[in-house]
Amino acid sequence: MEERNSTEKTPCNNALAQRRSKSYRQSMRSCVEATHLAYTSGLLTALRIPRSRKAPKSRDITKQVDPDQVALLVKKEWQLSYVTPFYQFRHTQLKSYSKQLSAFIVSEKQQGLAIEVGQELGFKVNFSVVLGLAETDKDAETVFIQILSKQAFAAKDDAQKVVWSGWLTCVNGDLDYLRSLPLEFVSLPLFCTRGPESLTVLVKSWFEKTFDCCFGPLGINSTNLQWLASLWTGCHPTINIQYLKLVWTLPTLPPMDVTYTVHPQDAWELWDSMRQVDTTEDSISIDEVTGFIKGLQSHFFRHFRIDLSAGSLMQISTALGSSHHSGKIKIASPNYIPTILQLLTECALLKMPI
Amino acid sequence: MAKASNLTRTDLDSSFESYLSVSSRTSNRSLRVAEKERRKSQTGDPFVLALKYFSEVEAGTPCSGNDVLERNLVLVERVGLSRGLPPEAISVMLDYAMSLRMGGVMCVRVLKFLIPATVVPQEAVVRAVSWLCVGKIAISTQVLFLRWVLTVFDMIDSKDHLRAIYGFIFSFVTEESLSPYICHLLYLLTRRESVRPFRVRKLLDLQTKMGRQPFLLLLLSLYKVFYPELVTLALPSRMRSGFKNHNSTWKVALSAVQKRNNGQVSSDISLTLGLKDKTNSRKRKFHHLELPSLSSSIQSNSSSRSRKVFPLEQLHSFPQLLDNLHCIELPSQMGSLLGSSLALCYLDYVQDDSAFLRLNFWLGHALHEEFLFCSGDGGSGSSSEALHFLNRLLSTQHFLQEGFSSTEGFLYKFLNVWDGSLLRPQILGLLSDIPVVPSSCISQLLFEPLMQLFFTSTLFFKCSVIDCLNSMLLKWLTWHSVYALEDGLDISLNSHTPMNMTLSGFMDSVMELVRFVGRLATVGLQLEGCHSLLLSFILDFYETVCDMFLKYGLPLVVMPPVGVFYPALFATDPVSVDRLGYIMYRYKKNLTSAKCQQQETKQAFHISRQTYQEFNHYLLFMVSCLWNSKMFLPGMAIEVDQELLALSKVPEPWTSFDLIHHPAFLGCALDFHHKCWPERKDIDLNSIKAGKQWDWYPEFLFSQGFQGLQQFVQSSINRRSAAGINGQRGSQPTNSYWLHHLENNIFP
Repeated sequence: MEERNSTEKTPCNNALAQRRSKSYRQSMRSCVEATHLAYTSGLLTALRIPRSRKAPKSRDITKQVDPDQVALLVKKEWQLSYVTPFYQFRHTQLKSYSKQLSAFIVSEKQQGLAIEVGQELGFKVNFSVVLGLAETDKDAETVFIQILSKQAFAAKDDAQKVVWSGWLTCVNGDLDYLRSLPLEFVSLPLFCTRGPESLTVLVKSWFEKTFDCCFGPLGINSTNLQWLASLWTGCHPTINIQYLKLVWTLPTLPPMDVTYTVHPQDAWELWDSMRQVDTTEDSISIDEVTGFIKGLQSHFFRHFRIDLSAGSLMQISTALGSSHHSGKIKIASPNYIPTILQLLTECALLKMPI
Repeated sequence: MAKASNLTRTDLDSSFESYLSVSSRTSNRSLRVAEKERRKSQTGDPFVLALKYFSEVEAGTPCSGNDVLERNLVLVERVGLSRGLPPEAISVMLDYAMSLRMGGVMCVRVLKFLIPATVVPQEAVVRAVSWLCVGKIAISTQVLFLRWVLTVFDMIDSKDHLRAIYGFIFSFVTEESLSPYICHLLYLLTRRESVRPFRVRKLLDLQTKMGRQPFLLLLLSLYKVFYPELVTLALPSRMRSGFKNHNSTWKVALSAVQKRNNGQVSSDISLTLGLKDKTNSRKRKFHHLELPSLSSSIQSNSSSRSRKVFPLEQLHSFPQLLDNLHCIELPSQMGSLLGSSLALCYLDYVQDDSAFLRLNFWLGHALHEEFLFCSGDGGSGSSSEALHFLNRLLSTQHFLQEGFSSTEGFLYKFLNVWDGSLLRPQILGLLSDIPVVPSSCISQLLFEPLMQLFFTSTLFFKCSVIDCLNSMLLKWLTWHSVYALEDGLDISLNSHTPMNMTLSGFMDSVMELVRFVGRLATVGLQLEGCHSLLLSFILDFYETVCDMFLKYGLPLVVMPPVGVFYPALFATDPVSVDRLGYIMYRYKKNLTSAKCQQQETKQAFHISRQTYQEFNHYLLFMVSCLWNSKMFLPGMAIEVDQELLALSKVPEPWTSFDLIHHPAFLGCALDFHHKCWPERKDIDLNSIKAGKQWDWYPEFLFSQGFQGLQQFVQSSINRRSAAGINGQRGSQPTNSYWLHHLENNIFP
């Protein structure tokens, strides 16, 4: 009874904890809440897809975040996944996670050999927190994981080689969603990995076993690629983007790839002309983004008589970074990290099953 | 050594007595047996004397040429192999053998016939292990003893003392030839508190020495269950089968004894391992449909090290569940619960919010990845794994008698992209499990996608949709009837919070659902030319609907639309008409008792006048059509212009749907006609309407199994006795005979 009272007092805190209860009222409640949250296929989910964003501002991220750690994140291509919230993940336990994960990797690699947790092994795993990336107090701090391999015949003080790295992050995650999670859950929905697939599989499987979560691949659809193209182009006055390259795939037989590289100044001017429409300085609307891409497409059509809108945007890249439809991202400049991560966090949260 | 054996012997008599009392205390069932034994012993039973001999015989007594020994041994052996030995005999003989009082040969011989009749006293085993520690016994005999312990392990009356000497038993693990058996025994004895870091290290040392021995790995895997933070390993699939059975020596005799004792002790000879074997699914890149295996979680372990916990992995029976209900630990991955009904029982009992959320995350993820994102291997939805998965989900939901909220959320999305044929029985099964949907969004979430599918699909799909909605309605009504009362939900009660669905909210949802099915049915019947299969499913639905008040206590009566009523009434198969009769009969019962209640309690619910009117209309029409041969008259529900009727050139069109001419009953009428007038060649069905035949004809119909029709007729039609009428005005025109009235049948 007490429990029920408390849930009624703070309804939004428990919206996700759908108690699959047999009680008449509670089953009603969970059902009503469910519908509030994400249950309508197109309609409510669409509401969560942002129609406008803040214009990216160049910000020296190294003032908040340790520059060494930032260096680990930038200028590398990461493969993206989404992951459901972790159950009983604690940022204070990272040391013991390191031990367990390394023992797990070794035991999985040597099927049928028991491994004592904590002993010296061929692999060393480092968990560390990247403080300062979180934007709101509901965002959990980013966790960075490195797997180092010991060379069998290496000298004692030889540096161990990093064979795999990955990080889990949440930047400006949807507040309603994060608030609705019970306290035992930590949401770090975006998982970026780099290294051999076999290790990625093992790490994921350890996370799944330990924190009862599920991983899935995260692609970047063409709408989000267009967002990225616009956001990056908008940065040109502050940082020279050098080029804007877009790759389309057209559904011809055989499929045709079109690589379209635009001079940065031209791209920026087109983007700026689109921006005239908007009155508020700070935000960018989806209409401006589609207008920008349409402008690029019509220009292409005028020259080559090929309508790019019939195909799908597969890849975009600038000097600030690149991004691929299949879920690969590379951020070259640390100044715009939060903007990009916020967009990717949104994509990951949209994949959540509940 | 001599001292030790002396000590044992002096203690023996008293301990013999205590064994007796122990055994009679521990198993009430053997009380009678023990009583009998004692009485026998007083009269000098040779078996008891033989035991006495073995308990008292001096160490070093020669065994070759010892006739007394041989006689006694044969006697005990015979009893052992035929009936099995009572607990006290087991402990005497085991002690005799293990103390090597007459050498190792005797020991082997005795061990081979130690077949317990009921239980094995654990003290005997503890004592025998202590003899093992003395270290005089040959290794092969030690192995034999351990195999014996493993064989009778389930019959040892309690194991707490054995667990107390876990450390002693563990010390044998380094003995190479004993190691497999010791590991097995330890496996059976291990509790959470027996797992210690130094033991883990010892076993790991052994592993480095002996290689990947299955017995070591199995014991270590059990240690991992209790302390996943101490040790980790991945068992290769071929090692998942468990320990070997070591019972070959005693197997035949033991099962014979057990059969003879008629299964007094239910002992599972095969001590197999509860490890879940991996499903032999083909390799897939993504395993989201694979149930995770049950394993304990590192998390809760480290946080509650001191608390006694019972991992679900160790749970094998319902009594075990009851005993450990307070200390069961949820597994590291909630998805693994789906595979075990015991675990589901527990889940249902604990009602843990986070546990459900974890399960829902996993389930939702699996469903989304497989059927919506199709990121696996290109949407292999039709694969047998998907089928297997959904079937398992269905059976889980049926077990819990409820749907998961993640399934519900998934279905709302999936209905929009479903082609209506992929895994149809499973999807519709899941759909019927969804809890009550608020009427404000029921149309958008459920009806619109279903409607599109319904109108564009085959007859069979239409039938299964109606069937699915029927079982959905049934489940909603059952919830209501069980839990509305439980919560003290009064009819007049209003909502306290917006989260609670009120009775009126629930009624709105039910009303929406019934009306929706009414619309589906109307159009469906038109599209399919009133197919009798579809009609049958629709009538199934209305059999649920007509009884909502009486059966489920829901003050709501909804009549079927005309598009259902008339097709059923004019159906060409008698079954549909018969069922319509039953449905109308139940409607009448419900409406009558609703009216009674309304008059009694005054303040109660309100069933609209329109419902009564609709019912009256239908009833009037049905009676006049079937009984009074009146149709198409002005003021009736179906009016047809007389001239138009004349054009059809059907003689006496108003009679064409009475009980005699109705296409559904025509066969019966002909049959009846033939039975009445077997010699008549020209058939005149109208002659049935005359005289006694008209009384008999309905009886004839009822005897053909038309119970619904019978109930309808008996409840709604008051027939004047035909004989009485005959007597009064025998020469009246036929039609006036059939002036049956509907007194009390029409609701004002």
